Amino acid sequence: MPSPDARRLLLVGLLGIVSSGCRDKDVPPPPPATAESPAAAPSTKRVVGPLSDADAKALKTMNDRMKSYLEIHTKLEAGLPELPKDPSPEQIDKNQRLFEQKMRAARASAKRGEIFTPEAETVIKRLLAAVFTTSQGKELMASIMDEYPAGLKLTVNGRYPDAIPVSTVPPEILQTLPKLPEDMEYRFIGRHMILLDTHAHVIADLIENALPKL
Amino acid sequence: MRPPRWIPFLALLAAVCLATACRESGIQTDAIAAQAADAASLPNKAGSFKFAVLGDFGVGAKTQYQLADQMATLHDRFTYGTVVLVGDNMYGGERPQDFKAKFEKPYKPLLDAGVKFYASLGNHDAREQRYYKPFNMDGQLYYTFSPTADVRFFALESTYMVPEQVAWLEKELKASSSKWKLVFLHHPLYSSGERHGSDTLLKEALEPLFVKYDVSVVLTGHDHFYERVKPQKDITYFVVGSGGKLRSGNIDRGTGLTAKGFDTDLAFMAAEIDGDQMYFNTISRTGQVVDSGVLAARKPLSP
Repeated sequence: MPSPDARRLLLVGLLGIVSSGCRDKDVPPPPPATAESPAAAPSTKRVVGPLSDADAKALKTMNDRMKSYLEIHTKLEAGLPELPKDPSPEQIDKNQRLFEQKMRAARASAKRGEIFTPEAETVIKRLLAAVFTTSQGKELMASIMDEYPAGLKLTVNGRYPDAIPVSTVPPEILQTLPKLPEDMEYRFIGRHMILLDTHAHVIADLIENALPKL
Repeated sequence: MRPPRWIPFLALLAAVCLATACRESGIQTDAIAAQAADAASLPNKAGSFKFAVLGDFGVGAKTQYQLADQMATLHDRFTYGTVVLVGDNMYGGERPQDFKAKFEKPYKPLLDAGVKFYASLGNHDAREQRYYKPFNMDGQLYYTFSPTADVRFFALESTYMVPEQVAWLEKELKASSSKWKLVFLHHPLYSSGERHGSDTLLKEALEPLFVKYDVSVVLTGHDHFYERVKPQKDITYFVVGSGGKLRSGNIDRGTGLTAKGFDTDLAFMAAEIDGDQMYFNTISRTGQVVDSGVLAARKPLSP
């Protein structure tokens, strides 16, 4: 009769054979979500490395804060005058600026780190660093830094400057970071990453030096 | 003493070699280009689908208006009903007055004639442009439309290529049975621009779909000049970022990508799809045809 240790080894070996056989035959299951995403966002399909419980918790907190932000956003946007079916630039602009004012007033005391909490910031920086350590790191950086407006002062709850182009956010990064709802986007200004409310044109939060130095 | 008989043949051979080398390196003089244009003007057939392509135009400067005048002049004799915009539709401010000065006024003759503009957004464009009726985006950042049964356009938002957009594109390309599939977006997958150049990250995400689903033509901007790229995997790529801002002398001739480049003045593209063929002319601010040619629709890879 084999000893308990030998039986354990046998069991592990059998499981290994079975699982490798399944891998060869079947399409591997999609990786788990990077983090729990807001209800309005589709589920994440790709991760960079496994997340520890602490990482997942940090991103969950970030998403909870984002949900709170979106509740305000949705409520205020619903209260705006309804645009006609074919709005004029005047009507679009007026509505947009009214929304910005309301949003900024509602978060008048907003501070950096309220959505990108310090814990979430650490995880996001690590996720970004992982993307940039690939062979494509320099191309990613060049793509983001294209038309980078140097010297721009960033303020949480401030309006994203009208005349400044937005950075490209390469697909590799969007596949890696936690998903955002349609109204929110990650954008970069130099090495800083902002969370941009694209309807209100407001910087909802930011992470300074989010991108690694290459 | 009479020169040897073989000297004229040698001279002819040298001329042929030089012309071939110029063509292959993409370096053409305006004179050569103008001759080519005369030889291949647009057929202007009744019933064909005619359209124009414009990019990086919304500056409100005199030169933009001059190019717009050329577009209107062409429309008088080549009645295109569609203009595809490859992004950076508005530079600087986007206040209501900017929409007038940078779009509605310069293109008024075309708008009055019922020409429909279809926009894609560039890195200088605010998201609200999708609600602006004359851009025909119907509130969408990426969308598709089919002006005729044989032709379908796919407009992409290239500054923020979320996985959902890629999945949407694949679904739409797969579902389309149009003979001509044309994609337009701001950032060029292939470009010889010294300022920007080819976006290799975007290429990785999109090119496999273009190849798999028989896209024939890809229209882009971002680099501020005109370039027709040598066919890549049987697909013809154009950079038409020459609608308002010019980056003079910015084409890097050493990339080996250029079939034809024009970086000394503003330009737009006019095209005509007739059956399996797409004819195109690229016309400068001064009315010169600086490039022209005929493309064939890609045949489906699989039955």
